[in-house]
Amino acid sequence: MPSLRKAAVLAFSLLAASAAPVSAQDLRIGAIFPLSGANADYGDLYMGATELAVSHLNEAKVLGGKLSIAYEDSQALPQQGVIAMNKLVNVEKVPYVLSAFTGVSKAISTTAARSRTVAVNGGGVGPDLAELGEYFWNVIPLANFEVRAIAPYLVQKRGLKRFVLVYVDDPLGQSIKRELEASLAPLGGVLAETLSVPSNAQQFSGIAARVRDAKPDVVYIASFGAQQSQIIKQLRDNGVTQQLASYSGFAIPAIAGLAEAKGALFTTQRIDWNSDDPVTKRFTREYQAKTSRAPSAYAANYYNAVLLFGTLAASLRKAGLPVTGENLLAKRREIGTFDLVGGRVTFEKDGTIRSAMQINEVGGEPAAVETVPAP
Amino acid sequence: MLLLQLIINGIQVGALYGLTAVGFSLIFGATKIFHFAHGASFAISAYVFYYLYAVLLVWWPISILAACIVVVVFGVALDRYVYGPIQSTDGSFFTIFVGSFGVAVVVQNLIGTVFGRGFISVPSALSKSVELAPGLYVAPTAAIAVVIAVACFVALQLFLGRTNIGIAMRALSESPALVRTFGLNPKAVSTCAFALGSLLVVPAAVLTSMTSGLNAAIGGRVMLISVAATIVGGVGSLRGAACAGLLLGIAENLALWRFDPQWSEAATFLILFAFIVLRPSGFFGRAVNS
Repeated sequence: MPSLRKAAVLAFSLLAASAAPVSAQDLRIGAIFPLSGANADYGDLYMGATELAVSHLNEAKVLGGKLSIAYEDSQALPQQGVIAMNKLVNVEKVPYVLSAFTGVSKAISTTAARSRTVAVNGGGVGPDLAELGEYFWNVIPLANFEVRAIAPYLVQKRGLKRFVLVYVDDPLGQSIKRELEASLAPLGGVLAETLSVPSNAQQFSGIAARVRDAKPDVVYIASFGAQQSQIIKQLRDNGVTQQLASYSGFAIPAIAGLAEAKGALFTTQRIDWNSDDPVTKRFTREYQAKTSRAPSAYAANYYNAVLLFGTLAASLRKAGLPVTGENLLAKRREIGTFDLVGGRVTFEKDGTIRSAMQINEVGGEPAAVETVPAP
Repeated sequence: MLLLQLIINGIQVGALYGLTAVGFSLIFGATKIFHFAHGASFAISAYVFYYLYAVLLVWWPISILAACIVVVVFGVALDRYVYGPIQSTDGSFFTIFVGSFGVAVVVQNLIGTVFGRGFISVPSALSKSVELAPGLYVAPTAAIAVVIAVACFVALQLFLGRTNIGIAMRALSESPALVRTFGLNPKAVSTCAFALGSLLVVPAAVLTSMTSGLNAAIGGRVMLISVAATIVGGVGSLRGAACAGLLLGIAENLALWRFDPQWSEAATFLILFAFIVLRPSGFFGRAVNS
């Protein structure tokens, strides 16, 4: 039961925090994850990775004190995210906050900029996230890169030219719609139908009828959490047999375990889990051992986000500087390139990373069917 | 063909809405308790069925029977140990509503803790559509939903019209004193209304677990539809609640024929507002006399 594991991690963190002596050298960062509600599976996934990164940094003793994370529940809702961000900034006074989901990330970005607190997103992929100011960083390639990677593959390599988009009506879904509209025509593809659904919708048999009526070659789904599983199941149950495609939202255990999702294609950043680089190797081995799950791009992103903080904070401590948001930003700009899970990463000026992408097949052997070089 | 497909989809969805709404309407009509936890009853029975049938691989009739027993016990326990004590002290409509709302929240979180908050579904060949005509797909669950809804409704009408306890249930909403005069205990009649109303969610919950799938928050949506159908059908009218459930299901799907799916859910509220403004007594509700 994922939530029991999460509760145990939270309880253990609280006990550990209250029992262990607190040193002036100890560091605390924040994390705003969906820990309840329909998207809590994501929060559970992220926490497994962040806790692993914290244990690795504390084992390495490079920070001069213990690192811990203050978790807040956003329920994947912007309003809850803002409340959580205010608490982390004003009460916990953390210099660095992990964020997830496009809507939540956009909502907290103004507080991050105003308080000069670094906010790092490892799960939201809305392209707007590249424009949220210098204190907002992304350790995940954004959806525009994902669409630009999969569209040529589907149109030119698979010959699937007629697209139908089923998207949740939020900043992420709208941005994917814009990207598909811009990408398909030059490739010779066509976006035949776009069907937006409310984020709380649960009935999709009628949507399936509309999809079939549009006679697509491929159905692109831009939703998240429990809803995307419901969409897949109901499309398949209601006679939609065409190729399904999506973005990195499909990179969760719930989709991997859904029989109806078998064969669906989705993009993530390129990570070679069998790589020999020591950071990737250690993460892959220990993440599997600790969580009993196969490593995923989301898990790697949040591990990387904590590792990035560790690298920056260790450098600041070594230089005798306080670990503040301003100093973290300056140090990131100074160092520029970091060794993270998946290989060496360089930040762009806008605080995003560009990475090679891979197209994955749910249930495929091997899972990655195509690699697309970094733009 | 799209129009016909949407009508068939609407009838399937509407049949399930109707069953759920009739259960809520029966409880509200007989006891005047705004049983917000009716959605929780739906979620409980669906998850019990899922756990027994899909996880423990128990034979389906036993799984359904267990879901019936659990949901009846839940409904009766709420009546006895939550609503009963409130009614014997404060008894205000609002206090009971808040109590029921609290129970629904607790149940949602308990289900999330035990089963996780993600999507689950019961794998079944019955939910797989077959192409009856070019472009027209119908799943066996559509026929099952309609047959079960009609059977339950007819059985309920016979029960309420032909048995003493059924007649007492109808009388309870008018005058508890009258029920007492005839030697019946209003509390026992109220318990019976909760048992029966809760039982009526089971077919819809089981079929939903196969077709749409479940998540811990599914009760909220069920409650919304139940309240809308009760108002549109006319408060206290079971026939009205059943017809309104069907109407809402069809309207939701028909809205997809010409409009963006965003309007599908809005169709429910447009119908609700239309009835509130133009026909406040609903389909078959009685006029309110001062």
